This record gives sequence, structure tokens and C-alpha cells, in this order.
Amino acid sequence: MSEVHKPIPHINGDNKEFWAGCKDHELRFQKCKTCGHVRWPASFICPICYSKEIEWIVSGGKGKVYTFIVYHVAYDRAFESDLPYVVADVELEEGPRLVTNIVGCRPDEVRCEMPVEVMWQDITEEFSLPKFKPRSQTI
Amino acid sequence: MLLERNADDAVFGHFGAAAGYALAARRAMHTMRTGPETWKHIAVGQRKWANLNPAAALYDRPMTSEDYYDARWVVEPFRLFDICLMTDGGRAMIITSTERARDLRHPPVLIMGVGQHNPSCDVHQATHLAGPTGAKKAGEMALRMAGITVNDIDACEIYDCFTYTVEITLQDYGFFGPGEGKDWFKNGTLEPGGRMPVNTSGGQLSEGYYMGLTPLSEAAMQLMGRCEARQLGPGTNTKSPEILLCSDNGGILQTHSCIVLRRS
Repeated sequence: MSEVHKPIPHINGDNKEFWAGCKDHELRFQKCKTCGHVRWPASFICPICYSKEIEWIVSGGKGKVYTFIVYHVAYDRAFESDLPYVVADVELEEGPRLVTNIVGCRPDEVRCEMPVEVMWQDITEEFSLPKFKPRSQTI
Repeated sequence: MLLERNADDAVFGHFGAAAGYALAARRAMHTMRTGPETWKHIAVGQRKWANLNPAAALYDRPMTSEDYYDARWVVEPFRLFDICLMTDGGRAMIITSTERARDLRHPPVLIMGVGQHNPSCDVHQATHLAGPTGAKKAGEMALRMAGITVNDIDACEIYDCFTYTVEITLQDYGFFGPGEGKDWFKNGTLEPGGRMPVNTSGGQLSEGYYMGLTPLSEAAMQLMGRCEARQLGPGTNTKSPEILLCSDNGGILQTHSCIVLRRS
């Protein structure tokens, strides 16, 4: 019930394709057609080579925890019932790092470099959030 | 800015500066084995300076290592005492020519060197969270301009929004190697009587948060000899200060300034 009071994604011209992808349970990122850099956050120009030529790729949704924190204080009351919850910076195999939540395990089980994979949380009819859960280490 | 509900990260419940620096601190725990056992020396040591400073918000509140560990988590790995105070107030400094300064009531403090470096990159894509931060190049610039090395520094006034910020800043300035802070801070290094006093007013952790002016104004006051009970020198069993190093940083380790001051 408190979910409805949580913030929803703030859409702009750069990120609307990303959030449209999330609705379809796909992690879409811009890839520079000139230098191949896969980037996040979305932007109209490549931060590496300044090219404006892009294609959108779909991430396999696998990555590892680059860093993470455990919230014991709700800076926004909508998150109070989630405490303690984990915010992590997940490094995807394609390169970009994404701020997200780690779910599916206890906060004290999360580690840096832990392998994770995407799972989807549909928060409204319009929006689905990419969150991550531990994955067993396989090839 | 950091608490906006329409920021990209708000949907995941990610808000604020403490959380941003906590992400950096956690990465540093992974790469260089730092953590609360290092940061407690900073929190506890700075509090000892605050206990000598009647203007400090926590002047009459001693703190032990046990108090540090007993404090509640805020955003793990930060406990309450890893985090700066929130303060209503202000600080001001007059910057003028040495010629004009001669007529002022207090002896002037001279600027020997300044440096800035701004990694800028958003924390979520940054590769500098566990150092080197902007402090490395900014520190090199300031020391080069001053014509000195860190060995010439008598004390430091470091921007301490969080305990970890003090560790990574001193590390990047070259006081110790990556991960060596745990040993460097031991045995009261930064405390009254220590060999390298740091944040002698109590800093933003224990005196008050006036952004970059907490460290900078304290450095100037120390070099003018106006710090009474906490004055560096024989009274606090520390070296009489000739040269002090100060830092400031902004964003989540995205901007950094370093300034070297000396007594006139």
C-alpha cells in the first residue's frame, strides 16, 4: 500500500527509452556506434568520444555488486516500512553501473563483487523497477 | 538537491550525502580493508579536541571507542558518529593583501599554496571512490606552489563531512599509503598530544558544520594563536604550528580544494 506513495521514475528525453524497456522487463542501454562505449545514465552525446551516434542494446541483466549500503534511516517516509534496505551500485557485464536495490537475501549477506541478476518489480501499470538478487555462480 | 524525490535514484530509496559517501566508504572497505576500526580513531580523536573548545556543539560530551560502536547505524557502514553535525550559524574570513593586513588587529596568516581538482564524475560511475580522489592532484598542486612536502606540515584541518572523508583525504595527500590509515591513526596521532593533529576545533563531526570554513577558519585561528585551551603548541603537547594544510570538498568526492597556510 505504501508503494503508491513512493516516488516514480522521472522521465526525460534521454531516459524514456530506458524506462520503456523496464516496462517490458528489458534493461536497455545506449551503445556508442563510434567507440562502442555502453553508457548510463542516458545522454545524447558519448562521454568518451563525444559522438552522437547510438544504438540501443539489451543487457543480459547479470552483474556484480560494486558497492552497497544498508539504510537504517528512512530519509523519505515512504521507505520506512522497508528498513533496513540495501541500495547498491551494480556493475553490469555490459559495463554500466546502475543504482538499484538488492533483494532476495538479508542485508548482512550482501558483499562487494557478489554476483547478482536482475528481477523486476512492477510498481504501477506504467513502471517497473529493475532490482537485483543474488545469483548462483555459473558460467 | 540530494533529497529530491524526482532524482533518478529516489525510486530505489537512495537519498542524501551520507548515503553517497557511504557507498564510497563501503568500496574502500572492500579494496583497502578500511572500516569502522579505522574511523573510530577519527571520531574519538576529534571529539577530544572539541572537549577543549567551548564553542563546539559537543564540548561537554566526551566520547569513547565504546560510545562510537554503541551508536546507531544511520546508513551502514556509517554510524551516527561517522557523520557531521547540522549547524545553524556562520563563519567569515577576511582575505586581503599583506600590505593592508599589517594594519589589522591580528597578525595575518599567509596563503602559501592552493590547488583544486574535480573528478566530477557522478558517484555511481566513479572509479575514484576509494581513491585517488581529487585530493591527490589538488594536494600536489598546493604543496608544489608552497614549495614544501607533507613532511613540513605541522597539523591538518580536513573537511570532515564523514570520518571516511578524513581518511581518504589524508591518504591522497600522501600521509600514508592505501589502507595504512588503520595503523597511522592508532595511538592518538590526530589527538591533543599527537604527532599530527587533525581538526583541532573538533571539526564538522564535533564542533559545527560551516562547510569549508570549519577547517579553514580553524587553521587561521591556530596560526594566529587565538585558540586558547586547544591552541597547538606546548599547552596541548603538540608542535607549535608554522604551516597548516586545509581541505574542502564538494558533491560526493566530486570536487576538491587544498590550501596551505603559514604563520606570518
